[in-house]
Amino acid sequence: MSLFTLNEVKKTFNNGQIKEEILKGVNLFLREGEVTALVGSSGSGKSTLLTIAAGLQSASDGEVLFEGKNLSQMDEESIRKIRATDFGFIFQFAHLVPFLTVEEQLLLMLDVSESKLKKHEQMSVVERILQLVGMEHRKNAYPSSLSGGEKQRVAIARAIIHKPKVLFADEPTASLDSKRSKDVMALIREITKNLKITTLFVTHDEEMLSYADHIIKMSDGLIVQHS
Amino acid sequence: MNLAFKEIKKNKVRFLILGSIIFLVSLLTFIISGLANGLSQDNASLIKDLPEGQLYMNEDAEEAYTLSKINSSLQEELLTDYKDATALSIQMGILNDHKGKQQSVVFVTSTESKNFKDVKDGEIILDQSMKEKGIEIGDTLTNPQFSGEFTVKGFVDQTKFSHAAVAFINIENYKEIYRVNEMQLVFVPKDNSPQEISGLRSFSKQEFLKTIPSYNAEQMTLNMIVWFLVVTSGMLFAIFFYMMNVQKIGLFGILKAIGLKTSRLFTMMWTQMIFITTTSLALSIAISQGFNLITPEGMPFNLSIETTLSLSVVFLVIAFIGTTIASLQIRKVEPLQAIQQGEI
Repeated sequence: MSLFTLNEVKKTFNNGQIKEEILKGVNLFLREGEVTALVGSSGSGKSTLLTIAAGLQSASDGEVLFEGKNLSQMDEESIRKIRATDFGFIFQFAHLVPFLTVEEQLLLMLDVSESKLKKHEQMSVVERILQLVGMEHRKNAYPSSLSGGEKQRVAIARAIIHKPKVLFADEPTASLDSKRSKDVMALIREITKNLKITTLFVTHDEEMLSYADHIIKMSDGLIVQHS
Repeated sequence: MNLAFKEIKKNKVRFLILGSIIFLVSLLTFIISGLANGLSQDNASLIKDLPEGQLYMNEDAEEAYTLSKINSSLQEELLTDYKDATALSIQMGILNDHKGKQQSVVFVTSTESKNFKDVKDGEIILDQSMKEKGIEIGDTLTNPQFSGEFTVKGFVDQTKFSHAAVAFINIENYKEIYRVNEMQLVFVPKDNSPQEISGLRSFSKQEFLKTIPSYNAEQMTLNMIVWFLVVTSGMLFAIFFYMMNVQKIGLFGILKAIGLKTSRLFTMMWTQMIFITTTSLALSIAISQGFNLITPEGMPFNLSIETTLSLSVVFLVIAFIGTTIASLQIRKVEPLQAIQQGEI
């Protein structure tokens, strides 16, 4: 069943007098619980497509349907609510809050998603997720004392703790070395499969494609291959 | 989760430095303000400490109270017509102590009044600053134009005029020293709407203060210093809070991306601003008020709690404006921009 559908999505930027068409009418659907990789050369429009799907920027034209609701027609507050409760994000950099401990990063996400769990229930969820990403021993550490790989593990924990329906990951391994990249991608796949989270990730690393159920290749603002 | 205090807890040094700057700058402003008020009191506390009312002087005196002479019959009429009205005279003069040392004072005399000291013939009541000059109760003082001697009967707190200590003397003694029969002024308390009295001109307390030579120029300079400091300090606070928050645009963008409400970011900034500013100002108020209590007797320093609170409110408002301007910038931040900026 399709959870996410993009119909004829276009994105145009005005660069002075010149109109730059980044997306030229993209059609895409994401099935529930499946991992989809977006690949393509630099400037092909893959990151733009991901951020439009995630509600971080609007499409110039076309429909972005999540559970049948068109994000393009929603106001900012409704999109924020969807981002807080139904979406999870992993960025190229971990982007952790520098003044919160690992545990607090996750509690903040539960707070942002307006979790109905009681305090002790929230604490046990945090414990469980930290075990899942292998970071329970660093729960009181601040981001400044974590390694790149550890930060990205915490970012993954933050992205899934509120049980989102869709996980968006924009080059989640770009700042990591080859060994850590594989570990992180294996972790993302394992967790999203276990929790049945639909995942869309952007990568330029061919090695990461083995972790995806579907691969979508983009070129010059269009999908050129779907496998 | 209270993000504001979490950040303060993690970045104690940064917030301590900011708080220290606010504390030091506000303390400087309070101390300068206290000195300015002190000088103002030193120049005119005799008049400033009077209750609200009107002062009347002769129209022909052209705003120079020393030249004013109110006709005796008119004076009697005014004292009868207006309850608690007082006729008074103020004149610079000198006193010699038993060692022959000369002291500059301002002789003040008045008809019976609760606002001025009632002094008997040959007695004198002095401002307490004369104590520091070695004068004590019971001492005898002389004046070259006075045939008798003055016996010091007591001292009064902070009663000065034109930066000189006030010396209250009996009307008859005053008349002998200055060879006059008429009084210079009539003070009518609680009479804020000036009455038209033929031949006299009315002055409010503030208007009368302006007739004191140099008072206006001195006050303008002092007020300029204080307000320049207030505005500069306020701007400094506003810029600090603006810079502190604008530096966090990347972080705020990420928080917005994961779904944090913009209103929570505003609350975080305002909470930090109010916490840091009020803590620093409270410390500053406590120390400046403590300084007020321990200032040496001769130092003109006067800092009321009302003045410090008013200045504190001005500082808080300006700091709030600085934070709010930063928050308007943050409202415009696109989460995508922050993500693309790289690691925070």
